[in-house]
Formats: sequence, C-alpha cells, structure tokens
Amino acid sequence: MRKKPNLIGSLPNKKSRPTGWQILLIAFFLFYMLLPIVSTYVFSVATRWDRTILPEGYTLEFYQRAIQTSYFTITLRNSFILSMATVLVSLILIVPTVYWVHTRLVGAKPLLDVLMILPFGIPTVVLALALVQVYNFPPIARSPFLLIGAVVVYSMPFMYRPVSNAVQAINIHTLTEACQSLGANVFQILSKVIIPNIMSGILSGSLLVFSTVFAEYTLTSLLVGARFKTFPLLLVEYTRINGNIAASFSVISFTIAWLASILILWAGSQGQRPSKNVTRS
Amino acid sequence: MAYLELKNVSKSFSNVTVVQDFNLEIEKGSLVSFLGPSGCGKTTTLRMIAGFEKLDSGTIKLGDREITTVPPNRRDIGMVFQAYALFPNMTVRENIAFGLRMKKAPKQEIEKRVNEVLDMVRLQDTAKRFPHQLSGGQQQRIALARALAVQPCVLLLDEPLSALDAEVRVVLRGEIRRIQSELAITTVYVTHDQEEALSISDKVVVMNKGIIVQVGTPEEIYRAPKTRFVATFIGTANQFYGEVSGKDTVTCKNIKLSVDGLKEFNEGQQVVVLVRPENIQVQSEHHNRRNWNAIPGTIETITFHGAVTRLGVNANGQRVVADITVGNTQPVSLNQTIWLSFPPDGCQVMAVTE
Repeated sequence: MRKKPNLIGSLPNKKSRPTGWQILLIAFFLFYMLLPIVSTYVFSVATRWDRTILPEGYTLEFYQRAIQTSYFTITLRNSFILSMATVLVSLILIVPTVYWVHTRLVGAKPLLDVLMILPFGIPTVVLALALVQVYNFPPIARSPFLLIGAVVVYSMPFMYRPVSNAVQAINIHTLTEACQSLGANVFQILSKVIIPNIMSGILSGSLLVFSTVFAEYTLTSLLVGARFKTFPLLLVEYTRINGNIAASFSVISFTIAWLASILILWAGSQGQRPSKNVTRS
Repeated sequence: MAYLELKNVSKSFSNVTVVQDFNLEIEKGSLVSFLGPSGCGKTTTLRMIAGFEKLDSGTIKLGDREITTVPPNRRDIGMVFQAYALFPNMTVRENIAFGLRMKKAPKQEIEKRVNEVLDMVRLQDTAKRFPHQLSGGQQQRIALARALAVQPCVLLLDEPLSALDAEVRVVLRGEIRRIQSELAITTVYVTHDQEEALSISDKVVVMNKGIIVQVGTPEEIYRAPKTRFVATFIGTANQFYGEVSGKDTVTCKNIKLSVDGLKEFNEGQQVVVLVRPENIQVQSEHHNRRNWNAIPGTIETITFHGAVTRLGVNANGQRVVADITVGNTQPVSLNQTIWLSFPPDGCQVMAVTE
C-alpha cells in the first residue's frame, strides 16, 4: 500500500482537551454569570423561598398577577415605543454621518470618535439633570420627545461603533466611485450598495441600542417619570411592593430582550449574503 | 477630430502640484495609455476625467459637451478599478445590471444586455455567483463587463491588471484590447507597466512629475524617445556620456563612438549616447565592419531571461548591457573578453540638459 503523502501545512489531528484548571475557571465564570439570572427565574415561580435552600413550592401565580397589573400593557408598550424610536433615530443619524465622514470628511473622524466616547464619560444622572435644566420649556419639558432625544445621545456609542467598524471593513471609496461611474446618485449608493454591505454592523448596533434602551431606568425616571412610564420603572416600583412579581417582570423583560435579539439576528441572516470579498480591504 | 479633450488641466493637493498644464486630444475609438512611475499624476488625471477629482484649472470636453464640472454619475464614463470594486452583496448578474437599473432600462433590455456583455467577457456560466466565488481575473472581467453594460462614451481603466498574476495579466490585456477594438470604444488606460502600455495602445502618453513627457505610438516612444527619461523608463538603454568631437563622433572617456544624427549638435557639446541592448552584437573576436562601433569588454554578469540572455559587460570602466539570443551565439562565460559592436544608426544622441 502506498503511503499517504505528508502534506505541508496539515495539522496533526489532535483534539486539545481542557485541563482541570481550565474547567474550574469556566465553571466559576458560568456560575458567576448565570446565578443571578437563574435565581431570578426560580424566584419568579417560587411560593416561598426564604427559609430553605430550594423553594418550598412552585407556582405561576406571580406571572398572572404581573400581567394583570394595571400598568403592565401600557409600560410595555411605552418601552417598545421608546426603544424602537431610539433605534430609528439612531440609524437615521448615525449611518449617513458615518458614511459622510468616511468618504468626504475624513479629517473629522478623530473628532467623531472622541464625541462618541463622551456619553460613557458623563454620569447618567448628570446628563439627566442638565437636560432637565436646559429643556425646561413646553412642549419639550418632561415630554417623551425629550426622553427619546436623551436616550439617543446616551445609546449613540452602541450604534456608532459597530456601524463605523463595518464601514471600515469595506472599501467604501472604491465602491462609492464604482456606483457613481454607473450613474447612481447618493441615495441609490447608500440604499443599494453601502447599507447592504454594512448590514452586520447596523444589526448589531440596533440590537445593542434596543436592549440598552429597553432596560434604561435613570434617564426615564428623572426626565419624564410617571408621565411616560416604561417597563423598568414599573419593575423598580414593584421591587418595593412584591419581590416575586418584580422577579416575574424581570423574566418577562429578559425574554423580550432575547426574543428581540433572535428576531433581529434572524432578519439579518435573511437579508445577508456571503460577504467575504476582495473589495474588502 | 478629438473626442476627448483635456485643455490646460492642472491639479495640486495641499500645495504639491500633481498634474501641471496637461493638454491632450484623444481620438474617438482609440486606446490611449497613461504611462509613468508612481506619483507621476496619471491616476489623478484619469480621476479628473471620471469626475472623482475637481480640476484646479483647465477644461475637459467630451464630444461637444464640456464636462469639467459635471458630476461623475452624469458623465457617461465607465470605469474599471484596480481593486475590481464589484458589489459584494450582489451576484455577477446583479452587478452587471446595476448601471442599467440606475438608468431605469426595461427589464427585458437589461436581461439581453447582461447576456451580451457576459458573452463578450466569456463568463456566461458565472452569472449566478457572488464576486467572492470568482478568481481575481474573473472578477476583473466582470468589472469590465459591468462598466461596458451601460455603453459609456468613454472607458477608463485604472491599473486594472496590477493585482493579478503575471500569466493572467497577459491574457487579460489581450482580452481588453480585443473587446476595445470590437466595440471601438474610446479608452484611457493607466499603467506603470511599460510592456502593458506598449502592447495594447494606439497611443502612449508618457508622464513624469505631473507633466506629459512624450505622446506617440508605441513604436515612436520606443524607437525615438524624446528624453533620457523616456528612453530609460521604456525598455533599457545604455548611456554613454561624452562630448561631440567631430561631425559624426562622440568621445566618451576613452571610447570613441561613431553616431548618426549629430547635425543639431555643436562640437564640444556635452551629450549622452543611448544604445538599446538588442542593438548591440556580441562577438568573441573583433570583426571589422564599416563604420560600426566596436568596444572590447569583459563579461561581469550573465542573466538568463528565456528568449534572450542579458550580459553585463565592463567596457573600459563603462557598464554596458547587451542581449544575445540563445542558440545564435557561441556559449559565453563570466570574465570572458568579448567585443561589443553596434551600428551608428543604432545610437541616439541627446543633449545633457535635464
């Protein structure tokens, strides 16, 4: 029998098994990350859980009571409106800006990069109080529009980073020029070529913004309070009334965030096509 | 009659002049190459024709239209880029149809036209594939098909073959020329590869430091370079520096050369004599031929190039390269003493002023 040629570059077929230490480390990490979530889930279905290691019994009663809460639907709706509106405004603001800065105004990119870190540097409470003072006139004062504006600023880095990285990954100048030489105007260039090619960045940005805003508490509470009650406000309110109901609100909130993620990722995989390409520099 | 006309075109980037007073007329249906080293302004000039760069001064006319300030998407000029620039999110068919869709052409016409250009570049079977599933050469053919699909007035090619393998480059440049002649489309081709420029162009525009050095047919450029830059940039040329010492002689150090075309020069004037390596014959002994120059020398290097072998010869301290055809000459060896001979009409004399 002929011997198989020893191919250059082929790796020895060896499965690397994690060592004892690695397993321990991974286990600790998972425990640390999952414990609060799992506990919340269990607490939301526990009848009583303060005298024993495991709950004394299980029930879905708290979910029923949570759903029957008078503000349940309206706060959920408000949170959706706020998150969706923020994602939309962010997209409309960020995508053309990033495109513009990368193609026509390259010198402004460092400035934009710094601007996009600022929301991380300003404490949310400070931002909220400053906005309340500046926009203290009707109809802006205490309105949902002020809130949307504020969370757009607050969540901007989450949209900017992924979109900017995606734009950097494609050869935006040449693609733009190719479109122009084929007779496309700026809207056609953006909609037909640039946006489809940075879809991955747009989707992950939208996902991050959606989940951040859906769980946003400080700005909402300080800027609009009870005038535009969102789900996190209801949740916090119930931590003082009934811990079990608050836990079931948390679980509902988690579930919505996860469903939204799956939905956005699914939508992305539908629209996206294989995109390894030479024009990516 | 000029079809594409550039008049007094200048361009500088932050005080560095990239293109200076560029004047050129390009005839309808011809293929003109811009040739020069990197940074000579050839690509900038092409981009000004395409509309991607604004002119500092001057005008560009296409047919009867002045297009100096027309935006690129309304110039009717097709472009092929070095980086292919196919749209990664679209199939080959969609890529080619893009320009026609922008023009809002009827569906059937798009279908028909896409098939036509796919036939032209001989890649019918790739229509449903995505760009990343094609080789570099195939991608560039599709890019060419995409530019041609809209039937532009002028086709611009910006170093289209630079990113490809040597073999693919030669095949594809032949294809480009074939398609260009078939369609008789006015084409401007930018390259830094002199062989590419000479082999496919009707006219070559040699550029250096932002100015046109010489315009001519490939033969003119090669056989009668106007400056030392052209002579040395296009092909190889031996350079003998010396002074005019008679009505047909130039003395270079201790070598006396008989040359043609000395009428324009005065005795004592500093000149350089240029001799192409292929004009030099290499012999093992001194043969007396009427008027021919004969210089003895020692072989210092032998480089095999396939069809020819290039010898580096030390002739009295002057380095001379000469090409010999394998099989036509006796075998040579290093340090061998040989005679280099070349006729007076194989020499070109230029004044040393540059």
